[in-house]
Amino acid sequence: MIHILDAVNWPQIWVITAVGYSVVFTALVLLILVFRLMPKVLNLQMKRKLKREGKYVENHGDEEQYIAGEVNAAIGLALSLYFSEMHDDESKIITIKRVERRYSPWSSKIYNINNVLPTRR
Amino acid sequence: MFRLFNPGAVLSFLQSSYNVRKFVTIFTVLGLLFMTSILTGGNATAQDVLPDNVESSSALVKGLKTFWYYTGFSSVSWGNITMIVVGLFFIFLAIRFNYEPLLLVPIGTGILLGNIPFIEGFQIGIYEEGSVLNYLYFGVVKGVYPPLIFLGIGAMTDFSSLISNPRLMLLGAAAQIGVFGTFIGAMALGFEIHQAGAISIIGGADGPTAIFASSKLAPQLIGSIAIAAYSYMALVPVIQPPIIRLMTSKKERLIRMKPPRAVSKTEKILFPLIGLLLTLFISPTALPLLGMLFFGNLMKECGVTERLAETARTRMIDIVTILLGLTVGASTQANVFLTGESIKIFGLGAASFIVATAGGLLFAKIMNLFLKKDNKINPMIGAAGVSAVPDSARVVQHEGLKNDPSNHLLMHAMAPNVSGVIGSAVAAGMMLSFLM
Repeated sequence: MIHILDAVNWPQIWVITAVGYSVVFTALVLLILVFRLMPKVLNLQMKRKLKREGKYVENHGDEEQYIAGEVNAAIGLALSLYFSEMHDDESKIITIKRVERRYSPWSSKIYNINNVLPTRR
Repeated sequence: MFRLFNPGAVLSFLQSSYNVRKFVTIFTVLGLLFMTSILTGGNATAQDVLPDNVESSSALVKGLKTFWYYTGFSSVSWGNITMIVVGLFFIFLAIRFNYEPLLLVPIGTGILLGNIPFIEGFQIGIYEEGSVLNYLYFGVVKGVYPPLIFLGIGAMTDFSSLISNPRLMLLGAAAQIGVFGTFIGAMALGFEIHQAGAISIIGGADGPTAIFASSKLAPQLIGSIAIAAYSYMALVPVIQPPIIRLMTSKKERLIRMKPPRAVSKTEKILFPLIGLLLTLFISPTALPLLGMLFFGNLMKECGVTERLAETARTRMIDIVTILLGLTVGASTQANVFLTGESIKIFGLGAASFIVATAGGLLFAKIMNLFLKKDNKINPMIGAAGVSAVPDSARVVQHEGLKNDPSNHLLMHAMAPNVSGVIGSAVAAGMMLSFLM
Protein backbone atom coordinates (compact mmCIF):
# COMPACT_ATOMS: atom_id res chain seq x y z
CA MET A 1 0.00 0.00 0.00
CA ILE A 2 1.32 3.40 -0.93
CA HIS A 3 1.41 5.80 1.98
CA ILE A 4 -0.58 8.99 1.43
CA LEU A 5 2.53 11.15 1.82
CA ASP A 6 4.36 9.18 -0.83
CA ALA A 7 1.71 10.11 -3.38
CA VAL A 8 2.36 13.84 -2.88
CA ASN A 9 4.72 15.51 -5.29
CA TRP A 10 6.87 17.00 -2.53
CA PRO A 11 9.43 18.77 -4.74
CA GLN A 12 6.55 20.75 -6.28
CA ILE A 13 5.24 21.67 -2.82
CA TRP A 14 8.67 22.90 -1.69
CA VAL A 15 9.04 24.95 -4.87
CA ILE A 16 5.64 26.58 -4.41
CA THR A 17 6.45 27.33 -0.78
CA ALA A 18 9.90 28.73 -1.44
CA VAL A 19 8.93 30.78 -4.47
CA GLY A 20 5.67 31.98 -2.92
CA TYR A 21 7.31 33.10 0.31
CA SER A 22 10.17 34.81 -1.49
CA VAL A 23 7.76 36.65 -3.79
CA VAL A 24 5.82 37.96 -0.77
CA PHE A 25 9.10 39.14 0.73
CA THR A 26 10.28 40.64 -2.56
CA ALA A 27 7.05 42.60 -3.05
CA LEU A 28 7.23 44.08 0.42
CA VAL A 29 11.00 44.69 0.30
CA LEU A 30 10.50 46.64 -2.95
CA LEU A 31 7.81 48.70 -1.25
CA ILE A 32 10.22 49.32 1.64
CA LEU A 33 12.93 50.51 -0.72
CA VAL A 34 10.56 52.83 -2.55
CA PHE A 35 9.22 54.31 0.64
CA ARG A 36 12.64 54.76 2.17
CA LEU A 37 13.69 56.62 -0.93
CA MET A 38 10.56 58.68 -1.37
CA PRO A 39 11.00 61.16 1.52
CA LYS A 40 14.54 61.83 0.30
CA VAL A 41 13.30 62.59 -3.22
CA LEU A 42 10.52 64.78 -1.90
CA ASN A 43 12.93 66.60 0.44
CA LEU A 44 15.33 67.12 -2.44
CA GLN A 45 12.67 68.98 -4.38
CA MET A 46 11.84 71.07 -1.34
CA LYS A 47 15.55 71.79 -0.79
CA ARG A 48 15.93 73.00 -4.38
CA LYS A 49 12.90 75.22 -4.07
CA LEU A 50 14.15 76.71 -0.81
CA LYS A 51 17.63 77.23 -2.27
CA ARG A 52 16.11 79.07 -5.22
CA GLU A 53 14.26 81.31 -2.83
CA GLY A 54 17.40 81.70 -0.69
CA LYS A 55 15.72 80.37 2.46
CA TYR A 56 17.65 77.17 2.77
CA VAL A 57 19.76 76.62 5.86
CA GLU A 58 22.24 73.74 5.71
CA ASN A 59 21.86 71.25 8.54
CA HIS A 60 25.31 70.13 9.56
CA GLY A 61 24.41 68.33 12.76
CA ASP A 62 23.73 64.64 13.08
CA GLU A 63 20.33 65.51 14.40
CA GLU A 64 17.60 63.43 12.81
CA GLN A 65 15.15 65.28 10.67
CA TYR A 66 11.92 64.19 12.14
CA ILE A 67 9.48 65.72 14.51
CA ALA A 68 8.14 63.65 17.37
CA GLY A 69 4.46 62.78 17.44
CA GLU A 70 3.79 64.83 20.58
CA VAL A 71 5.35 67.94 19.04
CA ASN A 72 3.27 67.40 15.91
CA ALA A 73 0.15 67.06 17.98
CA ALA A 74 0.91 70.30 19.83
CA ILE A 75 1.58 72.19 16.57
CA GLY A 76 -1.56 70.69 15.05
CA LEU A 77 -3.66 71.76 18.02
CA ALA A 78 -2.25 75.29 17.99
CA LEU A 79 -2.90 75.66 14.26
CA SER A 80 -6.36 74.22 14.58
CA LEU A 81 -7.21 76.62 17.41
CA TYR A 82 -5.76 79.53 15.47
CA PHE A 83 -7.68 78.79 12.29
CA SER A 84 -10.94 77.97 13.96
CA GLU A 85 -10.51 81.06 16.20
CA MET A 86 -11.34 79.27 19.37
CA HIS A 87 -9.01 81.42 21.45
CA ASP A 88 -9.82 83.74 24.29
CA ASP A 89 -11.21 86.56 22.19
CA GLU A 90 -14.54 87.63 23.57
CA SER A 91 -17.13 90.02 22.26
CA LYS A 92 -15.92 93.04 24.31
CA ILE A 93 -19.49 94.12 25.11
CA ILE A 94 -19.82 94.07 28.84
CA THR A 95 -23.23 94.15 30.40
CA ILE A 96 -24.05 93.71 34.03
CA LYS A 97 -27.16 91.76 34.45
CA ARG A 98 -28.98 92.24 37.71
CA VAL A 99 -30.22 89.03 39.08
CA GLU A 100 -33.22 89.39 41.29
CA ARG A 101 -34.85 86.64 43.18
CA ARG A 102 -38.21 86.72 44.78
CA TYR A 103 -38.13 86.67 48.54
CA SER A 104 -39.01 83.34 49.92
CA PRO A 105 -39.19 82.43 53.58
CA TRP A 106 -37.98 78.91 52.68
CA SER A 107 -34.54 80.24 51.94
CA SER A 108 -34.61 83.35 54.06
CA LYS A 109 -31.49 82.46 56.04
CA ILE A 110 -29.29 82.79 52.99
CA TYR A 111 -30.26 86.48 52.74
CA ASN A 112 -28.93 87.09 56.23
CA ILE A 113 -25.66 85.43 55.31
CA ASN A 114 -25.28 87.39 52.10
CA ASN A 115 -26.59 90.51 53.78
CA VAL A 116 -28.66 91.29 50.72
CA LEU A 117 -32.34 91.29 51.09
CA PRO A 118 -34.30 91.01 47.88
CA THR A 119 -37.05 93.48 47.38
CA ARG A 120 -40.42 92.29 48.47
CA ARG A 121 -43.05 92.58 45.83
CA MET B 1 -96.87 13.65 46.62
CA PHE B 2 -94.73 13.14 43.58
CA ARG B 3 -94.58 16.11 41.20
CA LEU B 4 -93.66 15.69 37.58
CA PHE B 5 -92.90 19.32 36.92
CA ASN B 6 -91.10 21.54 39.34
CA PRO B 7 -91.18 25.18 38.08
CA GLY B 8 -88.88 26.31 40.88
CA ALA B 9 -86.14 23.95 39.72
CA VAL B 10 -86.49 25.12 36.09
CA LEU B 11 -86.24 28.72 37.16
CA SER B 12 -83.13 28.12 39.22
CA PHE B 13 -81.61 26.25 36.26
CA LEU B 14 -82.28 29.18 33.94
CA GLN B 15 -81.05 31.64 36.49
CA SER B 16 -77.63 30.15 36.57
CA SER B 17 -75.94 32.14 33.79
CA TYR B 18 -73.60 29.34 32.80
CA ASN B 19 -76.42 27.00 32.06
CA VAL B 20 -78.27 29.68 30.17
CA ARG B 21 -75.31 30.25 27.88
CA LYS B 22 -74.95 26.51 27.30
CA PHE B 23 -78.60 26.23 26.46
CA VAL B 24 -78.50 29.16 24.03
CA THR B 25 -75.46 27.71 22.24
CA ILE B 26 -77.04 24.29 21.78
CA PHE B 27 -80.23 25.90 20.61
CA THR B 28 -78.39 28.10 18.07
CA VAL B 29 -76.46 25.13 16.65
CA LEU B 30 -79.59 23.07 16.27
CA GLY B 31 -81.37 26.04 14.69
CA LEU B 32 -78.53 26.46 12.20
CA LEU B 33 -78.68 22.77 11.28
CA PHE B 34 -82.40 23.05 10.80
CA MET B 35 -81.94 26.14 8.60
CA THR B 36 -79.37 24.25 6.50
CA SER B 37 -81.83 21.48 5.87
CA ILE B 38 -84.46 23.99 4.79
CA LEU B 39 -82.06 25.89 2.51
CA THR B 40 -80.74 22.74 0.85
CA GLY B 41 -84.31 21.55 0.41
CA GLY B 42 -83.71 18.19 1.92
CA ASN B 43 -83.80 16.45 5.16
CA ALA B 44 -80.30 17.38 6.17
CA THR B 45 -79.12 16.08 9.45
CA ALA B 46 -76.05 16.66 11.55
CA GLN B 47 -74.54 13.54 9.97
CA ASP B 48 -74.92 15.11 6.51
CA VAL B 49 -73.20 18.34 7.45
CA LEU B 50 -70.31 16.73 9.25
CA PRO B 51 -68.33 14.16 7.21
CA ASP B 52 -68.29 10.54 8.15
CA ASN B 53 -66.64 9.95 11.46
CA VAL B 54 -64.09 7.41 10.20
CA GLU B 55 -63.16 9.41 7.09
CA SER B 56 -62.70 12.59 9.08
CA SER B 57 -60.18 11.01 11.41
CA SER B 58 -58.11 9.62 8.52
CA ALA B 59 -58.12 12.99 6.68
CA LEU B 60 -57.14 14.74 9.86
CA VAL B 61 -54.31 12.31 10.49
CA LYS B 62 -53.22 12.62 6.88
CA GLY B 63 -53.23 16.42 7.13
CA LEU B 64 -51.34 16.37 10.37
CA LYS B 65 -48.86 13.89 8.93
CA THR B 66 -48.27 16.13 5.92
CA PHE B 67 -47.85 19.11 8.21
CA TRP B 68 -45.38 17.15 10.37
CA TYR B 69 -43.51 16.07 7.26
CA TYR B 70 -43.04 19.68 6.23
CA THR B 71 -41.91 20.91 9.66
CA GLY B 72 -38.27 21.00 10.57
CA PHE B 73 -38.83 18.52 13.41
CA SER B 74 -39.50 15.57 11.11
CA SER B 75 -36.19 15.74 9.26
CA VAL B 76 -33.88 17.17 11.93
CA SER B 77 -30.59 15.41 12.34
CA TRP B 78 -27.97 15.46 15.09
CA GLY B 79 -25.76 17.34 12.66
CA ASN B 80 -28.32 20.14 12.40
CA ILE B 81 -28.65 20.32 16.16
CA THR B 82 -24.86 20.43 16.60
CA MET B 83 -24.54 23.24 14.09
CA ILE B 84 -27.42 25.18 15.66
CA VAL B 85 -25.61 24.93 19.00
CA VAL B 86 -22.43 26.19 17.29
CA GLY B 87 -24.40 29.09 15.78
CA LEU B 88 -25.88 30.00 19.15
CA PHE B 89 -22.39 29.76 20.69
CA PHE B 90 -21.06 32.23 18.09
CA ILE B 91 -23.86 34.65 18.88
CA PHE B 92 -23.16 34.20 22.60
CA LEU B 93 -19.43 34.87 22.10
CA ALA B 94 -20.19 38.02 20.13
CA ILE B 95 -22.72 39.43 22.58
CA ARG B 96 -21.18 38.31 25.87
CA PHE B 97 -17.45 38.73 25.13
CA ASN B 98 -17.64 41.20 22.26
CA TYR B 99 -15.47 38.95 20.04
CA GLU B 100 -15.81 40.40 16.54
CA PRO B 101 -19.57 40.93 16.94
CA LEU B 102 -19.91 42.43 13.47
CA LEU B 103 -18.84 39.09 12.03
CA LEU B 104 -19.98 36.54 14.55
CA VAL B 105 -23.58 37.74 14.83
CA PRO B 106 -24.26 37.47 11.06
CA ILE B 107 -22.29 34.20 10.81
CA GLY B 108 -24.02 32.73 13.88
CA THR B 109 -27.44 33.68 12.55
CA GLY B 110 -26.43 32.31 9.14
CA ILE B 111 -25.53 28.98 10.77
CA LEU B 112 -29.01 28.87 12.33
CA LEU B 113 -30.61 29.65 8.95
CA GLY B 114 -28.52 27.06 7.14
CA ASN B 115 -29.35 24.32 9.60
CA ILE B 116 -33.10 24.59 9.85
CA PRO B 117 -34.12 21.28 8.25
CA PHE B 118 -36.43 21.64 5.25
CA ILE B 119 -37.84 19.55 2.43
CA GLU B 120 -35.75 20.02 -0.68
CA GLY B 121 -37.25 21.11 -3.97
CA PHE B 122 -38.91 24.34 -2.88
CA GLN B 123 -35.98 26.69 -3.52
CA ILE B 124 -35.32 27.35 0.14
CA GLY B 125 -31.81 26.10 0.93
CA ILE B 126 -28.59 27.90 0.12
CA TYR B 127 -27.45 25.07 -2.16
CA GLU B 128 -30.76 24.97 -4.09
CA GLU B 129 -30.56 26.80 -7.36
CA GLY B 130 -32.89 29.77 -7.56
CA SER B 131 -33.35 30.26 -3.82
CA VAL B 132 -32.86 33.70 -2.30
CA LEU B 133 -29.96 32.50 -0.18
CA ASN B 134 -28.43 30.89 -3.25
CA TYR B 135 -28.51 34.22 -5.07
CA LEU B 136 -26.85 35.94 -2.14
CA TYR B 137 -24.32 33.10 -1.89
CA PHE B 138 -23.34 33.81 -5.49
CA GLY B 139 -21.24 36.73 -4.19
CA VAL B 140 -19.23 34.29 -2.07
CA VAL B 141 -18.89 31.53 -4.65
CA LYS B 142 -17.74 33.91 -7.38
CA GLY B 143 -15.55 35.93 -5.01
CA VAL B 144 -17.53 39.19 -5.38
CA TYR B 145 -17.75 40.14 -1.71
CA PRO B 146 -14.07 39.90 -0.66
CA PRO B 147 -12.81 42.61 -3.04
CA LEU B 148 -15.65 44.89 -1.92
CA ILE B 149 -14.64 44.32 1.69
CA PHE B 150 -11.07 45.19 0.69
CA LEU B 151 -12.31 48.43 -0.88
CA GLY B 152 -13.83 49.37 2.46
CA ILE B 153 -10.71 48.32 4.38
CA GLY B 154 -8.58 50.46 2.04
CA ALA B 155 -10.88 53.44 2.60
CA MET B 156 -10.63 53.12 6.37
CA THR B 157 -6.94 52.27 6.80
CA ASP B 158 -4.33 54.87 7.57
CA PHE B 159 -1.05 53.68 6.11
CA SER B 160 0.98 56.55 7.59
CA SER B 161 2.65 54.43 10.29
CA LEU B 162 3.77 52.08 7.53
CA ILE B 163 5.05 54.92 5.34
CA SER B 164 6.92 56.52 8.25
CA ASN B 165 8.66 53.28 9.18
CA PRO B 166 8.71 51.08 6.06
CA ARG B 167 11.09 48.47 7.50
CA LEU B 168 8.21 47.23 9.70
CA MET B 169 6.67 45.86 6.51
CA LEU B 170 9.11 42.96 6.82
CA LEU B 171 7.16 41.73 9.84
CA GLY B 172 4.01 41.52 7.75
CA ALA B 173 5.94 39.45 5.22
CA ALA B 174 7.46 37.23 7.91
CA ALA B 175 4.07 36.35 9.38
CA GLN B 176 3.06 34.90 6.02
CA ILE B 177 5.04 31.84 7.08
CA GLY B 178 1.65 30.84 8.48
CA VAL B 179 0.27 30.57 4.94
CA PHE B 180 3.07 28.45 3.57
CA GLY B 181 3.38 26.38 6.73
CA THR B 182 -0.33 25.55 6.53
CA PHE B 183 0.09 24.65 2.87
CA ILE B 184 2.70 22.05 3.75
CA GLY B 185 0.59 20.88 6.71
CA ALA B 186 -2.52 20.49 4.56
CA MET B 187 -0.58 18.47 1.98
CA ALA B 188 0.77 16.26 4.76
CA LEU B 189 -2.77 15.69 6.04
CA GLY B 190 -3.75 14.33 2.66
CA PHE B 191 -5.61 17.24 1.11
CA GLU B 192 -5.59 17.64 -2.64
CA ILE B 193 -3.16 20.36 -3.77
CA HIS B 194 -5.88 22.91 -4.72
CA GLN B 195 -7.65 22.35 -1.44
CA ALA B 196 -4.35 22.73 0.42
CA GLY B 197 -3.74 26.04 -1.37
CA ALA B 198 -7.16 27.31 -0.34
CA ILE B 199 -6.77 26.14 3.26
CA SER B 200 -3.32 27.70 3.54
CA ILE B 201 -4.73 31.23 3.29
CA ILE B 202 -6.33 30.79 6.73
CA GLY B 203 -2.73 31.26 7.93
CA GLY B 204 -2.85 34.81 6.58
CA ALA B 205 -5.56 35.50 9.21
CA ASP B 206 -7.50 37.32 6.57
CA GLY B 207 -11.12 36.24 6.14
CA PRO B 208 -11.92 37.93 2.80
CA THR B 209 -8.66 36.70 1.22
CA ALA B 210 -9.30 33.15 2.45
CA ILE B 211 -12.82 33.20 0.98
CA PHE B 212 -11.55 34.66 -2.28
CA ALA B 213 -8.83 32.04 -2.65
CA SER B 214 -11.12 29.14 -1.76
CA SER B 215 -13.82 30.37 -4.16
CA LYS B 216 -11.25 29.94 -6.92
CA LEU B 217 -9.35 26.89 -5.72
CA ALA B 218 -11.76 24.74 -3.70
CA PRO B 219 -15.35 26.06 -3.78
CA GLN B 220 -16.63 23.00 -1.90
CA LEU B 221 -14.56 24.00 1.15
CA ILE B 222 -15.61 27.67 1.32
CA GLY B 223 -17.89 27.12 4.32
CA SER B 224 -15.30 25.35 6.45
CA ILE B 225 -12.46 27.68 5.45
CA ALA B 226 -14.47 30.84 6.04
CA ILE B 227 -15.79 29.66 9.38
CA ALA B 228 -12.30 28.59 10.48
CA ALA B 229 -10.72 31.88 9.35
CA TYR B 230 -13.33 34.09 10.95
CA SER B 231 -13.52 32.08 14.16
CA TYR B 232 -9.79 32.31 14.69
CA MET B 233 -9.82 35.99 13.74
CA ALA B 234 -12.42 36.52 16.44
CA LEU B 235 -10.26 34.55 18.84
CA VAL B 236 -7.09 36.59 18.18
CA PRO B 237 -7.33 38.19 21.65
CA VAL B 238 -7.31 34.68 23.13
CA ILE B 239 -4.76 32.96 20.88
CA GLN B 240 -2.04 35.61 20.59
CA PRO B 241 -1.24 36.84 24.14
CA PRO B 242 0.10 33.48 25.44
CA ILE B 243 2.33 33.09 22.37
CA ILE B 244 3.59 36.66 22.76
CA ARG B 245 4.42 36.06 26.43
CA LEU B 246 6.04 32.73 25.64
CA MET B 247 8.31 34.08 22.93
CA THR B 248 9.40 37.42 24.38
CA SER B 249 11.24 38.34 27.54
CA LYS B 250 10.01 40.97 29.98
CA LYS B 251 12.91 43.22 28.95
CA GLU B 252 11.96 42.95 25.29
CA ARG B 253 8.34 43.72 26.04
CA LEU B 254 9.41 46.97 27.73
CA ILE B 255 11.26 48.34 24.68
CA ARG B 256 10.03 51.78 23.74
CA MET B 257 10.01 52.69 20.09
CA LYS B 258 10.63 56.08 18.54
CA PRO B 259 7.44 57.92 17.71
CA PRO B 260 6.70 57.69 13.98
CA ARG B 261 7.59 60.76 11.93
CA ALA B 262 4.89 62.90 10.35
CA VAL B 263 4.00 61.78 6.84
CA SER B 264 3.26 64.33 4.13
CA LYS B 265 0.08 64.28 2.11
CA THR B 266 2.04 63.62 -1.09
CA GLU B 267 3.51 60.47 0.43
CA LYS B 268 0.08 59.31 1.51
CA ILE B 269 -1.31 59.81 -1.99
CA LEU B 270 1.69 58.16 -3.65
CA PHE B 271 1.50 55.09 -1.39
CA PRO B 272 -1.62 53.49 -2.90
CA LEU B 273 -0.53 54.32 -6.42
CA ILE B 274 2.99 52.89 -6.06
CA GLY B 275 1.74 49.98 -3.96
CA LEU B 276 -0.89 49.10 -6.53
CA LEU B 277 1.48 49.19 -9.48
CA LEU B 278 4.35 47.44 -7.75
CA THR B 279 2.50 44.60 -6.05
CA LEU B 280 0.16 43.91 -8.95
CA PHE B 281 2.97 43.77 -11.47
CA ILE B 282 4.58 41.15 -9.24
CA SER B 283 1.41 39.21 -8.51
CA PRO B 284 -1.37 40.08 -11.00
CA THR B 285 -3.62 37.30 -9.63
CA ALA B 286 -4.11 39.37 -6.49
CA LEU B 287 -5.59 42.16 -8.63
CA PRO B 288 -9.20 42.01 -7.37
CA LEU B 289 -8.06 42.19 -3.75
CA LEU B 290 -5.08 44.54 -3.83
CA GLY B 291 -6.55 46.67 -6.62
CA MET B 292 -9.61 47.36 -4.50
CA LEU B 293 -7.56 47.86 -1.32
CA PHE B 294 -5.34 50.51 -2.86
CA PHE B 295 -8.24 52.09 -4.75
CA GLY B 296 -10.12 52.49 -1.48
CA ASN B 297 -7.03 54.03 0.13
CA LEU B 298 -6.53 56.42 -2.78
CA MET B 299 -10.13 57.61 -2.38
CA LYS B 300 -9.42 58.26 1.28
CA GLU B 301 -6.10 60.04 0.86
CA CYS B 302 -6.55 62.07 -2.33
CA GLY B 303 -8.86 64.48 -0.51
CA VAL B 304 -11.27 65.04 -3.40
CA THR B 305 -13.39 61.91 -3.12
CA GLU B 306 -14.23 62.02 0.54
CA ARG B 307 -17.88 61.20 -0.16
CA LEU B 308 -16.98 57.99 -2.00
CA ALA B 309 -14.46 56.99 0.65
CA GLU B 310 -17.04 57.64 3.36
CA THR B 311 -19.55 55.36 1.62
CA ALA B 312 -16.96 52.64 1.01
CA ARG B 313 -15.80 52.55 4.62
CA THR B 314 -19.25 52.74 6.19
CA ARG B 315 -22.44 51.73 4.35
CA MET B 316 -20.88 49.63 1.65
CA ILE B 317 -18.59 47.54 3.82
CA ASP B 318 -21.45 47.11 6.30
CA ILE B 319 -23.83 45.82 3.62
CA VAL B 320 -21.24 43.44 2.22
CA THR B 321 -20.29 42.24 5.71
CA ILE B 322 -23.93 41.43 6.47
CA LEU B 323 -24.34 39.49 3.21
CA LEU B 324 -20.99 37.75 3.50
CA GLY B 325 -21.42 36.78 7.15
CA LEU B 326 -24.96 35.54 6.70
CA THR B 327 -24.32 33.48 3.58
CA VAL B 328 -21.03 32.04 4.83
CA GLY B 329 -22.84 31.03 8.00
CA ALA B 330 -25.73 29.54 6.04
CA SER B 331 -23.32 27.56 3.88
CA THR B 332 -22.53 25.36 6.88
CA GLN B 333 -25.47 23.05 6.26
CA ALA B 334 -24.71 20.05 8.47
CA ASN B 335 -24.72 17.47 5.65
CA VAL B 336 -22.12 19.52 3.73
CA PHE B 337 -20.16 20.96 6.63
CA LEU B 338 -19.83 18.26 9.27
CA THR B 339 -17.14 16.17 7.68
CA GLY B 340 -13.71 14.93 8.69
CA GLU B 341 -12.22 17.51 6.35
CA SER B 342 -13.78 20.39 8.31
CA ILE B 343 -12.26 19.11 11.53
CA LYS B 344 -8.85 18.88 9.86
CA ILE B 345 -9.30 22.42 8.49
CA PHE B 346 -10.10 23.70 11.97
CA GLY B 347 -6.99 22.02 13.34
CA LEU B 348 -4.85 23.46 10.56
CA GLY B 349 -6.38 26.90 11.12
CA ALA B 350 -5.39 26.92 14.79
CA ALA B 351 -1.88 25.74 13.97
CA SER B 352 -1.50 28.31 11.20
CA PHE B 353 -2.46 31.19 13.51
CA ILE B 354 0.11 30.05 16.04
CA VAL B 355 2.81 29.62 13.38
CA ALA B 356 2.06 33.03 11.83
CA THR B 357 2.19 34.81 15.18
CA ALA B 358 5.38 33.02 16.16
CA GLY B 359 6.91 33.79 12.74
CA GLY B 360 6.28 37.51 13.16
CA LEU B 361 7.65 37.55 16.71
CA LEU B 362 10.75 35.60 15.76
CA PHE B 363 11.50 37.83 12.80
CA ALA B 364 11.16 40.94 14.98
CA LYS B 365 13.70 39.44 17.39
CA ILE B 366 16.05 38.68 14.49
CA MET B 367 15.64 42.25 13.19
CA ASN B 368 16.59 43.58 16.61
CA LEU B 369 19.96 41.79 16.34
CA PHE B 370 20.85 44.07 13.43
CA LEU B 371 19.41 47.33 14.72
CA LYS B 372 21.19 50.03 16.73
CA LYS B 373 20.50 50.13 20.45
CA ASP B 374 18.46 53.32 20.31
CA ASN B 375 16.48 52.18 17.29
CA LYS B 376 15.30 48.76 18.38
CA ILE B 377 11.76 47.55 17.81
CA ASN B 378 9.51 46.02 20.40
CA PRO B 379 9.30 42.38 19.23
CA MET B 380 5.67 42.18 20.32
CA ILE B 381 4.66 44.14 17.21
CA GLY B 382 5.80 41.13 15.16
CA ALA B 383 2.63 39.38 16.33
CA ALA B 384 0.63 42.04 14.50
CA GLY B 385 2.11 40.77 11.23
CA VAL B 386 -0.92 38.50 10.86
CA SER B 387 -3.43 40.52 8.95
CA ALA B 388 -6.34 40.46 11.37
CA VAL B 389 -6.82 44.24 11.19
CA PRO B 390 -6.94 45.87 13.67
CA ASP B 391 -7.42 43.10 16.22
CA SER B 392 -3.87 41.87 16.44
CA ALA B 393 -2.55 45.46 16.65
CA ARG B 394 -4.99 46.00 19.50
CA VAL B 395 -3.72 42.85 21.22
CA VAL B 396 -0.14 44.16 20.98
CA GLN B 397 -1.19 47.55 22.37
CA HIS B 398 -2.97 45.83 25.24
CA GLU B 399 0.00 43.61 26.01
CA GLY B 400 2.32 46.63 25.81
CA LEU B 401 0.21 48.55 28.31
CA LYS B 402 0.15 45.56 30.65
CA ASN B 403 3.95 45.66 30.85
CA ASP B 404 4.34 49.44 30.84
CA PRO B 405 1.20 51.57 31.18
CA SER B 406 2.81 54.44 29.27
CA ASN B 407 4.12 52.43 26.32
CA HIS B 408 1.64 52.80 23.50
CA LEU B 409 2.45 50.42 20.66
CA LEU B 410 -0.74 50.71 18.61
CA MET B 411 0.66 53.02 15.93
CA HIS B 412 3.78 50.88 15.54
CA ALA B 413 1.78 47.65 15.46
CA MET B 414 -0.51 48.99 12.75
CA ALA B 415 2.41 49.02 10.31
CA PRO B 416 3.02 45.22 10.30
CA ASN B 417 -0.72 44.72 10.59
CA VAL B 418 -1.58 46.50 7.34
CA SER B 419 1.48 45.14 5.59
CA GLY B 420 0.18 41.72 6.66
CA VAL B 421 -2.97 42.46 4.67
CA ILE B 422 -0.86 43.27 1.60
CA GLY B 423 1.37 40.25 2.26
CA SER B 424 -1.50 37.78 2.61
CA ALA B 425 -3.14 39.10 -0.56
CA VAL B 426 0.16 38.67 -2.44
CA ALA B 427 0.51 35.16 -0.95
CA ALA B 428 -3.04 34.31 -2.06
CA GLY B 429 -2.21 35.65 -5.49
CA MET B 430 0.86 33.42 -5.61
CA MET B 431 -1.19 30.38 -4.61
CA LEU B 432 -3.72 31.17 -7.30
CA SER B 433 -1.11 31.64 -9.99
CA PHE B 434 0.61 28.36 -9.06
CA LEU B 435 -2.49 26.25 -8.68
CA MET B 436 -5.17 27.59 -11.02
